[in-house]
Amino acid sequence: RGQQLDKVIAVKLDHAGVKESLLTIQAKSGIRFVLPEKLLAGLKQKITIDSDHSTVKYLIEKVLESTNLDYKLVEGYVVIDTKPVPQAPGKLSGRVVDEKGAPLPGATIRALETGQVVQSDANGDYTFNLKPGNYTLEVTYVSFRSQKSNNVVIKEGKTTSLDFSMQLADNKLTEVVVSYGKQKSREITGSIATVDASSLQDMPVTQFAQQLQGKVAGVQVSQTSGQPGRGMGFIIRGAASFYSSNQPLFVIDGNPITGSINNINPAEIESYSFLKDASATALYGSRAANGVVLITTKHAKPGDAKIEFSSYYGLQKIPTGKLPKMMTAREFATFMKERAEDGLKYEPGYSVSADYHAAYDNPEQYGEGTNWFKLLTRTAPIQSYDLTVRTAREHSSSTVIAGYQEQQGVLINTGTKLYSMRFNQDFTTENNKLKIGFNLAPSYRMDHNNRLNSDGVGGYFERFFEASPLVSPYNADGSYTRNVSSPGMVAYINPLATYELTNDDYKTTRILGNIYLNYEFLPGLSIKGNLAADKGAETRKYFQSGLVTGTQGQTTGTSSAVDNGSWTAEGNLVYNRTFFKDHNIEALVGYSAQEFSTYNNTLTGLGFTSDDIEYLGAATSVTGSSGAGSYSLLSTIGRVNYNYKGKYLLSAALRRDGSSKFGENTQWGSFPSVAAGWIVSDESFMKNVKGVNFLKLRASYGITGNNFFAGNYDPQATIGTYYYNFNNVITQGQTINRLPNKDLRWERNKQFDIGLELGVLDNRLTFTYDYYRKLTDGLIQQRSIPTSSGFNQIIFNVGELKMWGHEFSVSSKNLTGSLKWNTSLALSFDRNLITNLVDPGYIRRNVTVSSDYYRQQVGHHLGEFYGFVFEGLYKDAADLANSPKYLSTTAKPNGNSDIGTIKVKDINGDGVIDDVNDRTFIGDPTPTFTGGIVNNFRYKNFDLNIDMTFSVGGKILNAAKWAYQTNMDGSRLPLAAAADRWRSEENPGSGVYPRTKSGTTAMGRQVNSQWIEDGSYLTAKNITLGYTVPLRNAMIKNLRVFASIQQAFVLTGYSGMNPEINVGGSDPTSGVGVDENAYPIPRTFSLGFTTTFK
Amino acid sequence: KDFIERSPEDAYTDDVFYKTEQQFRSAVVAAYAPLRDVLVNDYFTSEMHSDNTIYQAIPGNRGTSIVERENISDFINTSTNAYVAATWQHSYTGISRCNIIIERLKGADLNNEVKANLDGQAKFLRALNYFKLVRLYGGVPLFIKEVTTADEAFKARATEAEVYARIIADAQDAIAELAPPAKFPQTGEATKGSATILLAEVYATQKKWADAEKLLNSMLTMGYDLNANYADAFMPANKNSKESVFEIQFLGGTLTGATPNVLSFHFLPRSKDTKLLTGISIDNTSTGGWNTPSNDLISDFEAGDNRLEASVGIAEGTYDASNYFKYSAAKSIINYVPATGKIGVPYIKKYLHAPLESPTGSGDDFPIYRFSDALLLLAEALNEQGKSSDALTPLNRVRRRAGLADFTNTDPAQLRAAIFHERRVELAFENHRWTDLLRSGKALSVINAFGVKIREQLPYLSSDAYVIDQHHLLFPIPQNEVGLNPKIIQNPGYF
Repeated sequence: RGQQLDKVIAVKLDHAGVKESLLTIQAKSGIRFVLPEKLLAGLKQKITIDSDHSTVKYLIEKVLESTNLDYKLVEGYVVIDTKPVPQAPGKLSGRVVDEKGAPLPGATIRALETGQVVQSDANGDYTFNLKPGNYTLEVTYVSFRSQKSNNVVIKEGKTTSLDFSMQLADNKLTEVVVSYGKQKSREITGSIATVDASSLQDMPVTQFAQQLQGKVAGVQVSQTSGQPGRGMGFIIRGAASFYSSNQPLFVIDGNPITGSINNINPAEIESYSFLKDASATALYGSRAANGVVLITTKHAKPGDAKIEFSSYYGLQKIPTGKLPKMMTAREFATFMKERAEDGLKYEPGYSVSADYHAAYDNPEQYGEGTNWFKLLTRTAPIQSYDLTVRTAREHSSSTVIAGYQEQQGVLINTGTKLYSMRFNQDFTTENNKLKIGFNLAPSYRMDHNNRLNSDGVGGYFERFFEASPLVSPYNADGSYTRNVSSPGMVAYINPLATYELTNDDYKTTRILGNIYLNYEFLPGLSIKGNLAADKGAETRKYFQSGLVTGTQGQTTGTSSAVDNGSWTAEGNLVYNRTFFKDHNIEALVGYSAQEFSTYNNTLTGLGFTSDDIEYLGAATSVTGSSGAGSYSLLSTIGRVNYNYKGKYLLSAALRRDGSSKFGENTQWGSFPSVAAGWIVSDESFMKNVKGVNFLKLRASYGITGNNFFAGNYDPQATIGTYYYNFNNVITQGQTINRLPNKDLRWERNKQFDIGLELGVLDNRLTFTYDYYRKLTDGLIQQRSIPTSSGFNQIIFNVGELKMWGHEFSVSSKNLTGSLKWNTSLALSFDRNLITNLVDPGYIRRNVTVSSDYYRQQVGHHLGEFYGFVFEGLYKDAADLANSPKYLSTTAKPNGNSDIGTIKVKDINGDGVIDDVNDRTFIGDPTPTFTGGIVNNFRYKNFDLNIDMTFSVGGKILNAAKWAYQTNMDGSRLPLAAAADRWRSEENPGSGVYPRTKSGTTAMGRQVNSQWIEDGSYLTAKNITLGYTVPLRNAMIKNLRVFASIQQAFVLTGYSGMNPEINVGGSDPTSGVGVDENAYPIPRTFSLGFTTTFK
Repeated sequence: KDFIERSPEDAYTDDVFYKTEQQFRSAVVAAYAPLRDVLVNDYFTSEMHSDNTIYQAIPGNRGTSIVERENISDFINTSTNAYVAATWQHSYTGISRCNIIIERLKGADLNNEVKANLDGQAKFLRALNYFKLVRLYGGVPLFIKEVTTADEAFKARATEAEVYARIIADAQDAIAELAPPAKFPQTGEATKGSATILLAEVYATQKKWADAEKLLNSMLTMGYDLNANYADAFMPANKNSKESVFEIQFLGGTLTGATPNVLSFHFLPRSKDTKLLTGISIDNTSTGGWNTPSNDLISDFEAGDNRLEASVGIAEGTYDASNYFKYSAAKSIINYVPATGKIGVPYIKKYLHAPLESPTGSGDDFPIYRFSDALLLLAEALNEQGKSSDALTPLNRVRRRAGLADFTNTDPAQLRAAIFHERRVELAFENHRWTDLLRSGKALSVINAFGVKIREQLPYLSSDAYVIDQHHLLFPIPQNEVGLNPKIIQNPGYF
């Protein structure tokens, strides 16, 4: 159709009006015109054209040339309209900031109508040139929710201002707390995992460690004991030392803490950063070998004034599914009766005493008997109340958190209470140059009988399963008996009386506090100062009635106190600058000093005439002692972070530390690190890769150290006191009590890490992968030396350990509709190998064969179990004759073996089983992989959280069962299953439990491969169902009620009570995966609510 | 920087200690202390490990701590035995403390007389410990310098001759440097007399009889004498008496620094209440039952020997099914006949003086050397040199005090047997029996013969109990030492 305008016509106009001219063209061309009168009226232009050959198009344009009119072809009509005004483009500019108002450089701003894209600069500012009009703008930034702004009007030549305040994407902190500061997560080059504490706070637990189980790849948190308020172990990346702690360094709001972590109320915590690789931890160099956990407490944000109150109440109960099934009174009497019958049958000279006959000859008279477990355990309440008040204005903020927690123990007469407060105050001047803050967190804990010797060998929990069911805990007059053994058993002290007649109260006061100051005295250059204190004081009052003391009648009272504290002073200079637009530099230099000191005293009273007064005034003899100790750390630190366009990232750091704990020749250590990162998804070639929102590659290498060992002066030869009594005179002797080691140096950890972070499908699926290799050399350990030297150990750098592993975390938004479903998975594969040790190339647990559970040996994994290899029972005379026997000699050809006793492998093939040459490695406690999976569902007002942890492939040495519950000598109550033991060749039983013949049972108490079990487990740590009550209340803004089950179920083939034992507790020398009757972990049912007032 | 240089405030470190006389004196006190630790293991390794004593069987408790001690008594202990290791370790702890003193005294700015006295005490203690070790274990690593680094702790075994040479040198120095007892009761410290009898016993062991005789004769003029009654020698009220040549000191009670003697109830049958014998309630079910006098020893006392009544008592009562003993009466061993339905269990009475001060132990000292030992050694040295009639004098001095008639036979072989017998009963339970058996060369025959009888008497004994050959004459080197230190070669016959 447009071709009609190319039609050539002849037109002659002489000073014609516009309308007249157009009508002429219409007439000549036969093309119809639409001529709005409104536009044409009043036009003064006079047109003169004289042409024979002109196109219609030319003519129309010539006519309209000097007017403000234009034309277009519509449906074959030439429509005259006003000419569009020639427009100058408009501008859109603004700033992209995060929730806290901090700029977000590199955010992507997109105009959806035109597809144009710009990015924010280092200050978060952006400018967009757009044609005037209406637009929809979208801002995206990794780990933040993308944001749209509709109907943005751009006017010609004008600047429209539009700021974006970005909200965090779920569970993802964009600005991550890192060593000595914060960093945008996208710019981090180290391996750091963050956890937002708000998602954890439904769990009815008193320790934050319990909330973190299975949440972070590479971080193993395990509950190795159920003692109220205690028993948690943290291992980052399989960290292991022999003597120094395996636990990471905990830093709360920038303050490295020196005391225990279990006094910290979980409700105070806002987020965690787990620093895993050497680059992330480098600035904590000397204490970072086990990783660092940075804890940030709650700080109010501007405009965020509110009051929150939360509470839960729960009931804890020991799950009985895995409880050892011991013999009942009737079964035990039968066992003992048969034991004597077998003795008379097989053992010449065997005699049975009258009281034995009286007790066991008629088992039918007994029923279940005394159930010690039931007597000593209970369903116990747990409760918690937290009140948080946050107020914040633009330049000041205040947060106050008050908490009370009470956990009664599931063992009777035990429990703990914690009162805690936290005040966090921040103030900023109006020009934002000066920032000052105070944090203060006092707490007070009262432990009642909570640190009694309940766990482990000889611990009270073991006693529940060895006391006789035939015996009552009470005398006829209702008082407690002392001994609860029946004839033939070893004497045991009544565990019920022990719990009831012991009062062991610890009261712990703790104050964590710091003051910080930030002053930006030149643009980009700030000075930061921080002064922190961690102050603790603990008193203990202990009293035990003489009825249950180890030495009978020795009623004992103790009063002791510990006062300790540390302070840390730090000063840093920070320089932050962008050069030539794209070169961003952050540099930090600093100085830090820390000192810890402790004072303790103990008074012990003996000779109490009665149990009425528990204080030392009632004792006739009081002895005491006191002591003190301190250590210090002096450090200089430096770090440079550089990035080009926020895309190519480099980081280098150095810490130099001097510690008083090391030998005088080796106090100083240097801990450098370097790291690099590349945000691949920012490259132009990635723009075409659909679906990938974010991709970062990073690598790091660095050296860190470990000085976490209990001794303050270990490398120094100290003088100890040894008394002697010449002619009844108490004389004090003094001499060296340990060997010095002036060359004791830092335990060093060299670590390489390579990682990848990926976000796809609009970041609905994010994925992180890390591979690390660590080499720890100079491992510190009390090295065993020949006792002929007069000493049995010396603190020493004994060897070298390699660790490596893979870590995966996946976080996925499976459903985003009205039913929301998120899943996060953390998975780690940690491996280790001992590569070097001083002579003789191994370190044994101890010298007693029956408890020499494991060996650290070159070429082996950490803590591999060591013992005999079980081969069943000797079946018959031929089997006995043809097999090697335990300690056989010429004078005793069968040694301690006989038909029906335990047969083990003759490792050295010399035909005799002995304790030195026939033991070998029988199991590895290191799991193949560990991790956790959290599923979160939300539908309308309901939410459901299922939190699970797992560990696969690690072995456990079940010493509790084999060493203590299968004793065939009748000295303690055996497992019910042991009734099915060997009694004769015709009646060999299950083939697991040997005969009871005197002098043949010793092998049953030596570690053998029967004790090794698979420790794999899947635990539902927590299941919480919540409901948010819809409210239209002026004051109450939010009310959520929830019900939860903690430790809901454990799926495991392990026959003991707690498969989590396979992470060593805080004492690295006690071994990994050794189960020696730990305090059971209760299951907790609870109800709770959280509410917000504004 | 000073900030990171720290030393403990609540204790000295070695670089500031060992300067003053008082400090050296206290270092010497500390060198005496391990004697107690040796003692509580040495009654296994030197007395139960002989024909003198046995143990109370407890078949229901087969815990390592029970079994390992029984094994020493039965001569079936292995190298992993913790109590064999304990005697070794504690002896060496004492040696190490002596080494520190001897070494550091050399450069110390002290009065020469003080120096000599302290050096003498330390050398006596070092010699005493090595003498224990060399007889029980053979040639042992010879540490004579302070150990300051890990490397120095790893030493090979010296020969027996080298160890003896050091013992002799140390004892000679001690004799030269120490004075005889200045008064009685003595201070309890080592004296010239202590060092003299030690060296004499060393010479006797080496059959250097003339040297031994000379030393023992010198003791006759140092003021020592026998107490009127045998039992007086063990009375807590009679500590460090004229009869005492060297004894381990104890003090009862609960004061800080008091170190009670626990042996009095270790040596009683296991019972939930020992009050009948100890005078106060003590539950020794987990500590007692050891060092029970054997019938063989009891029957070796001659009729009328008042040492039997002083040394051995009878606890009468009944065993329950857990083999705990319920005491019903304390009886005399003399002409003892059990009451109907009761059992009489002999126990060591020498060190039990009821009532004990506290359940933690008594104040009884424990003798290492008594003057009667010196007299019997002298008799032996004289007899071995053919001076048999001279030998009768010291022997009969011991016998008379025991209420026995003089021995008059001067046949050297018979006299040798008589002296050997006299040592057994006079020094019973004083941890001399095993080394006396070794010295006399009779260990193999005596123990094997004892084994035949005792296995018959106690059917629960293992068939290889008390069946010994040459290798049993030495204890194994503790396995942990062999395992740690490749330079240590185990004694033959042990794994």
